[in-house]
Amino acid sequence: MNSDAIGSKGPEMQQRSVNKGIGWGGKSLKEMWEEKERLYKETGCYYGLEELPLMKGDPLKSEVLASRLLAAAVAGRETSRMISASPLVRDVAELAVAIYTPEGDCIIQSTGIIIHIPLMGQVIEWMIKENYEEEVGINDGDCFTSNDNYIAGMHPADFYDIMPVFWEGELVGWVGTVIMEPEQGALAPGCMPSGATERFVEGLRFSAEKTAVNDRHLKAFERRIRLGCRLSDFVLLDRKGALAADIKVRQAIKKIIEEFGIGYYMAGIRELIEMERRAQLKRVKTRTVPGRFHSPSTFEIYLSRTIAPPHHAIDRITLVPWDFNIKPDGKYSLDFDGAGSWGWHSSNTSPSALLGAACLMLTQTIAYDGKANQGTFLALEMNTPYDTFVNPSSPNVASGMFFSWPIMGGAIWLGQQSRAFFCRGFVEEFRAPTPLGVGASGVSALAGRTHFGMDFGFQMMEAPGFIAGGAFAIRDGVLSDVIFLPDADMGNAEVWELVLPLLWMGRKFIPDTCGWGKYRSGRSVMGTYMVYKTALLSLDTTSMAHCEKIGGNSGVFGGYPGHGGFGKVIANANTMELIAQRKPLAHGEGYPGVGDLEQNISGDLIIPLANSYVKGVFRHGDFIQGYMGTGGGVGDPIKRDLSLVKEDLDSGVITIDRCRRMYCVDARYDEIAEEWVIEEKKTAELREKKRKERLAKGMPAKEWWQKRRQDIISGKLPPLLKEMYNDSLAKGQRWPGEFRAFWQLPRDFTF
Amino acid sequence: MGAVSYPKEVIRDLVAGKLPWAEVKSIISGYKDDDRFDKYIEVLQEKMSWKERILLPLTDELHVVQKGIERIVKCSCGYEFGDYRENWKLKALIHVRDTQEEIDELYPYPCKPAPEYCEIREHYCPGCGTQLEVDVVPFGYPAVFDFLPDLDVFYREWLARPLPQQKEFKDLTYELTRRWAEESQSK
Repeated sequence: MNSDAIGSKGPEMQQRSVNKGIGWGGKSLKEMWEEKERLYKETGCYYGLEELPLMKGDPLKSEVLASRLLAAAVAGRETSRMISASPLVRDVAELAVAIYTPEGDCIIQSTGIIIHIPLMGQVIEWMIKENYEEEVGINDGDCFTSNDNYIAGMHPADFYDIMPVFWEGELVGWVGTVIMEPEQGALAPGCMPSGATERFVEGLRFSAEKTAVNDRHLKAFERRIRLGCRLSDFVLLDRKGALAADIKVRQAIKKIIEEFGIGYYMAGIRELIEMERRAQLKRVKTRTVPGRFHSPSTFEIYLSRTIAPPHHAIDRITLVPWDFNIKPDGKYSLDFDGAGSWGWHSSNTSPSALLGAACLMLTQTIAYDGKANQGTFLALEMNTPYDTFVNPSSPNVASGMFFSWPIMGGAIWLGQQSRAFFCRGFVEEFRAPTPLGVGASGVSALAGRTHFGMDFGFQMMEAPGFIAGGAFAIRDGVLSDVIFLPDADMGNAEVWELVLPLLWMGRKFIPDTCGWGKYRSGRSVMGTYMVYKTALLSLDTTSMAHCEKIGGNSGVFGGYPGHGGFGKVIANANTMELIAQRKPLAHGEGYPGVGDLEQNISGDLIIPLANSYVKGVFRHGDFIQGYMGTGGGVGDPIKRDLSLVKEDLDSGVITIDRCRRMYCVDARYDEIAEEWVIEEKKTAELREKKRKERLAKGMPAKEWWQKRRQDIISGKLPPLLKEMYNDSLAKGQRWPGEFRAFWQLPRDFTF
Repeated sequence: MGAVSYPKEVIRDLVAGKLPWAEVKSIISGYKDDDRFDKYIEVLQEKMSWKERILLPLTDELHVVQKGIERIVKCSCGYEFGDYRENWKLKALIHVRDTQEEIDELYPYPCKPAPEYCEIREHYCPGCGTQLEVDVVPFGYPAVFDFLPDLDVFYREWLARPLPQQKEFKDLTYELTRRWAEESQSK
């Protein structure tokens, strides 16, 4: 018997039918879902709510309902953090909690990894359509676990623990908690390995399975976790934390129902969704400008470098044109026409993952008043052509990186929406994109044996905290500002050191890596680590958002895109000798071009390649450095305010050499005052010279067009690019016509 | 509560990046001001040395303006790019960073674009030499048309004050490249 089974005897009981469904009013969940869909189709309003009587009658009461639910979700999230064990939960808070209607529509969401909010709803919807009500059974005290991206999700490391909420025998809602695991028993390193091409090597898989009854986990479930992964304590305790969060929120919902009455509650949650749908359309109409935004995006995959099966070990670059339309009715429309083929690798994406990315974007940039829910997503349309990179046709493809392109592309969308804010005058809402430029970070994922002698695999989540956000339209970007991780956090080095066989040698800003502009991106951090007390360490760069050959298009208004991520590793390092001789080691990059790692430590230097295992096995004393990249700059760099340039020089963001070339600012260092002094006259000359240089070297667009058109006709492109274009030309409906029309090519042109 | 509105001076400082952060934060966290667009246009218009009415800013330097019966893209310096429905980048100067030295200038560390795969296109204003946009795209990708605004819907349906001489919401860039191709053939 559940401890929170609070009784309530309201007049609502009289309204219930005598049907045997478990849903509200005795309906089956499927009946409720079908009714909701029908009413939306007929009226364009959620649940057919053309009027909002509760909101109209007592708006404050409606607000209180929303606040109570929000408080419950946030409190649930904090509860989970107190019970979970993984540093991903306790330190960097990779979790979120949301409350749903019986049909699976989100009513309210906590802070955290909100990319999953609509997706947990999709799992609920899937269970309804799969007739869990009759075939599996849904009871008070049950919990269902899912990390199956065939159903919904961003990647298998994200576990959804979903619990029904019953009131007097009828299902009146759901609670969902999502937690990312650092490893779930996949091919080493265990979380999102670069070599996984099929879902069958991605570790533990729960396909919306019942994993708890009467608020207690099933022993069989616990055994599967114990035997199914390397760090089962983390996975198990995270499940306990999620279960506790769900129970706590369920209790809170029942108290809310007791306070408001079940009739008000059920009508009220529907009104909250319809109100948000209307609010989102209004926000768009009052903060943006309608029209069409366009940007290309590419994704590079190099499976020949890793341990993929031979028939999947293919290198490819995939093009996804990103069209964002703001429609006259205020709806957002994302169109991926022209997206290339999906492939046997883990970095395709899915309509579900794209919806998650949309939630992430919308909730942080426009629907940020704490009420984002299903209504927000009803004001969004997407075209995700079937059998392409954005909508693979095989359920067997690996999904370890389903999240990767949506959040990289989501960064592009961020830039597009920012333009709309800027045009409308809301310059304070503008942010240049911050692509996930992992590229070749050497510390993304680790496996082997820990300093305690245990087998392990681990996805390092310190690095997102290193990323520097793109510039704003009116100020510089900041560190740890990444749209894909709302609460990006490096975590505590001391905690990571408990878990991983690494010593934290330094977290230091790295010079000369900003996205330059009138306003620059934030300055980002490089991590430096010494391999500690292990003779068996393997590194994987994973296959996240590659921009190895083609950079992210993140600069805006003349600002440059930021720097891509990279890593460095020194194997067979002479660290122990250096320590014995009390000689310096490495704690950061040092001066660009003469890195401390290369200068101070002897050994075999490796620059890890993207999408691969780093060659070799690493041991005590070896060194690793990792850096994640920066977002774009905004505005012409030679228009940067001189006082900001001085600050950049004084704080080491930029070296004087690059300062002269990027900002066209000259300065001298005052040894006595220990600060840089701007040479204003020389600066004015440098800037004028740069303008003249541009006017002299800039080619009239018509000439450039003729030259490039000839390159295209004559096929002067690398084979990977020809394949990329041919793929999109074959797959697209509208985009191929636009490509050919721009270059004035024959209608049947291919490379 | 009443409608939120800020003095024009506040909007001027906000746009110029001169408003103290505490005030910017307050604006970000507060309700949005209904009259922002009009004040924004006024602030921008006052900065220009030319008189054509700004219909919509596109970037920090480019604006769609009403010039006679036409709507054209115009730089703050006064340079005119032509119909706003053509991608203005095809009327600009272009420089492609395609040498390792030029790429290293931007990206000194590993993980940098490869010139045979990627174009770093810098678009300059022919009038003042300002760098207006930088596009990083796969080699051979069409010039990126960042934003084609639906101006008539915006003014007629969203602001409830229609513009004169309604224009079709249509990308006219392809007509420009068609003319260029015809010119090439006739030579």
